[in-house]
Amino acid sequence: MSVTESQDIEQATSAMHSAPDNKTRRYDRQLRLWAASGQAALESSRILVLSASATSTSILKNLVLPGIGHFTLLDDEQVKPSDAGNNFFLDGFSSIGKNRAQEALPLLKELNDSVDGEAVTKSVKELLSTDEGKKWIKGFSLVIAHNLKKGELEQLSNLLWEDLNDPPLIVVRSAGFLADFYIQFHEQCIIEPHSDTAPSLRITKPFPALQKWADETDFSKLDPTEHAHVPFVIILIKAADHWRKEHNGDLPKTYDEKKQFKAYVRSLQTKIDEENFEEAEAQAVRIWGAAETPVPSEVKALFSLPSLTSPNQTDSNEAFHALLQTLKKFVEDPEGPGRLPLTSTLPDMKTDTESYVKLQKLYREWSGVESARFKTLLQQTYPTLEIDPAMVDSFIKNVHHIRLLRGRKYGTWETNVDSVKETLSYMGKEVGTHLVLNALEELLSKDEEVTSEKVIEHVKSFLGPDVELPEEVEAAAGEVARAPTADLPNTAAFLGGMIAQESIKIITKQYVPVNGYCVVDLIDSWTGNIGAP
Amino acid sequence: MNGHLAAGDWDDRYHHIDQILNNPGPRTDPSFMAGDEVKDFLRNKCKVLVIGAGGLGCEILANLALSGFKDIHVIDMDTIDISNLNRQFLFRPKDVGKPKALVAAEFIMNRVPGVKVTPYYGKIQDKDDAYYMQFTLVVCGLDSVEARRWINATLVNLVDPDLPESLKPLIDGGTEGFKGQARVILPTVSSCYECSLEMLNKPTAFPICTIANTPRLPEHCIEWASVLEWPRVHTDKKLDTDDPEHIGWLFSVASARAKEFNIEGVTWSLTQGVVKNIIPAIASTNAIIAASCCNEAFKIATSSAAFLNNYFMLIGTEGVYSYTFEHEKRKDCPVCGGESLDLKINKEWTVDRLIELLVEKQDIQIKKPSLSTPTKQIYFQAPPQLEEATRPNLEKKVSELVDEGGEVTVTASSLPFNLSLRISYI
Ligand SMILES: [Zn+2]
Repeated sequence: MSVTESQDIEQATSAMHSAPDNKTRRYDRQLRLWAASGQAALESSRILVLSASATSTSILKNLVLPGIGHFTLLDDEQVKPSDAGNNFFLDGFSSIGKNRAQEALPLLKELNDSVDGEAVTKSVKELLSTDEGKKWIKGFSLVIAHNLKKGELEQLSNLLWEDLNDPPLIVVRSAGFLADFYIQFHEQCIIEPHSDTAPSLRITKPFPALQKWADETDFSKLDPTEHAHVPFVIILIKAADHWRKEHNGDLPKTYDEKKQFKAYVRSLQTKIDEENFEEAEAQAVRIWGAAETPVPSEVKALFSLPSLTSPNQTDSNEAFHALLQTLKKFVEDPEGPGRLPLTSTLPDMKTDTESYVKLQKLYREWSGVESARFKTLLQQTYPTLEIDPAMVDSFIKNVHHIRLLRGRKYGTWETNVDSVKETLSYMGKEVGTHLVLNALEELLSKDEEVTSEKVIEHVKSFLGPDVELPEEVEAAAGEVARAPTADLPNTAAFLGGMIAQESIKIITKQYVPVNGYCVVDLIDSWTGNIGAP
Repeated sequence: MNGHLAAGDWDDRYHHIDQILNNPGPRTDPSFMAGDEVKDFLRNKCKVLVIGAGGLGCEILANLALSGFKDIHVIDMDTIDISNLNRQFLFRPKDVGKPKALVAAEFIMNRVPGVKVTPYYGKIQDKDDAYYMQFTLVVCGLDSVEARRWINATLVNLVDPDLPESLKPLIDGGTEGFKGQARVILPTVSSCYECSLEMLNKPTAFPICTIANTPRLPEHCIEWASVLEWPRVHTDKKLDTDDPEHIGWLFSVASARAKEFNIEGVTWSLTQGVVKNIIPAIASTNAIIAASCCNEAFKIATSSAAFLNNYFMLIGTEGVYSYTFEHEKRKDCPVCGGESLDLKINKEWTVDRLIELLVEKQDIQIKKPSLSTPTKQIYFQAPPQLEEATRPNLEKKVSELVDEGGEVTVTASSLPFNLSLRISYI
């Protein structure tokens, strides 16, 4: 476990100063991944799952266990003998003939007493035919659909693309060993990201108190113990200052210069066992690498992102965009540091306790100064915006790794056949499998017999006559023809894990979900991503 | 459809799986016996062993049962803890304290009629070769490196070239947070668990001088409490990391030290995480990896499709990233390689220093190794008389005891194999 990660856990659970209660003990292994904030987000989520197939109940199992707030399982069909054979959340033979959602409900609910759930015995078609039904669907935090009929799927994805605040839709399709899924969302902010890389420590542009420390440090006047405990941050600041003096104010650029810089750092070491100087040499890369860039390129890209707007509605991410625009101002402000607000957490380094604690205090204090500056800018720029102060603090704390994804409507990628064709040329198996699943969906919706030839015919007619199909298309077509409606237990369990994982990422906003299609082949055991915007 | 129904079966029960078993696909090996023959083998003849009834084990048992395996054995030495309930979905709060293997087996048999699950509440090391010989394949969902090395070496040793059925495919899964891996090991044929030991994550170790003299992180204070203070204060009591009173003591001692050094962030949760080396675990990752393992077990048992060759790695923190590759056999693998491992050491090194290296080195990691050459004993951890007799050698230089290019055999009671080293000096 990295230091930054352990500190996150520590902060998230700082309330726990005595033996934890039963709920915390039950969720201990997951709280170490998404902390109390992620858990709270899960607990307030309401998830709709369309169809009570083996895949659907597998997905729900993995969401009920970590403790979502509420789920609705919608299915109007009766349990067939084949359902009773492949679905762990049906009670075997005795479930046959009863409603699928109702039979699965108690077996899912018993997984976690704190999760509420309901079974709705309507059909998707019925729901989509009334305004009331449509409104009801839009009321969930997330909608998941498995092997929905083509027409209904199109209607559903249209419906959930109307407003910016509509819930994300996860479309899951599977046949035998093959599957794919797609997450339809307008925008996804990752507001509490997790990263292994320590953010900028301002080594190339120290804040005043840090510079003062470096200036006041005279290596020649330190006793051997002190010398062996100067933190690498201070060593590098001094080395950089020295280098600038001898190189017209520039930092090392060429390979040779970088080598010389490292050699210089090493030359400051007076005794062989001074680990702090070894560390400084190893960390020297920060000076010219990405670590100390004023604004990481991923964050910079967000500054120029036009806000999503649509008539008569507010964007649920409005606050996030206000924070982003304030950040842009903060960075561009000539009075400011010209970079992202300083981090308040320090990675571990080879030094003594006193120096480390002192350094930590300096970072914390200056990070407080910049945080206040940010908040003033926010207030000046958006005087009327109501925004949760905790969100502002969390934004500033995580600002070095924040991410924002823009999604597309389900099926958008295929409207550009040329792009599909181009991707096919270098990702044959991924694109091929996806197109084969498209063809299968088409054939099943028309109640046509599924043969390898018909599937290939469909793929060809989509791509146009001049495209040569890679052999993987034939392999995939043969597989769906072999098992066009098979919801295999292992494929269902695999997707159950994958889709729950993505759902958790969407809800907690701490990890990055898939953007585009994720294609799965459980014969050769691979997954692949295509069609990202 | 299955011609003759076994007990507990009903018409069309296997409608989904039979779509696969009734016909070959484009990538299916010609040896596939589509139809009744393969179904009969899977449902009536195949016998599988599941090792571990925890996070992966619960998932594995359910998947195998639904896939049509009807004779399943499961071994697990643990009892159910409340922190298991966020993912080990065959257990309920009322089961806390009961043996995992027993509860899991009963649950599966109740839910999936006609499946026989035979539990064993104990250690894999309790069982002999004859026991392991009875299975078609072994699926492993363990969180212990030691246990994995043991079963891997045992199954490699079991292979008799004249007896094809002595080769038991081993399917191994593991997870950590949003990451995981599944692999297929054909003992003696493909890369084994020991071959890939160096791929394991190195556990975080804090230098003892940091813990004792220059603590900076809350973790350093916790390590001080558990590594240095506990044995000093409780000379006669071993630390039990499952005992809340023990954790409570460590927490308060660590907190006091943190306060003394102005270090923030010692919490109960962090204390427990550090001393128990807790690895985050969630249902969804376990579901993916267990499904992958069982999918391979199904394909191997039925030949209905090609199986994984031989390693599937998944990282789910940023999108879904996976990597499928063939891990290569190591010629100097102590379990399946046959060649000695070349080891270059300093001429001045003592036997004690060499032992330290064997414990730490990523591709060796042998705890409590005993060392000998073909002609003499260098150091033995047990029995006590032999330990005492060989103890003076610890201070001696290796170069005094072993010639350049000489062989050293390393053994450890926890591992059923010998490591052969060829020593050279720098
Ligand atoms: Zn090996």
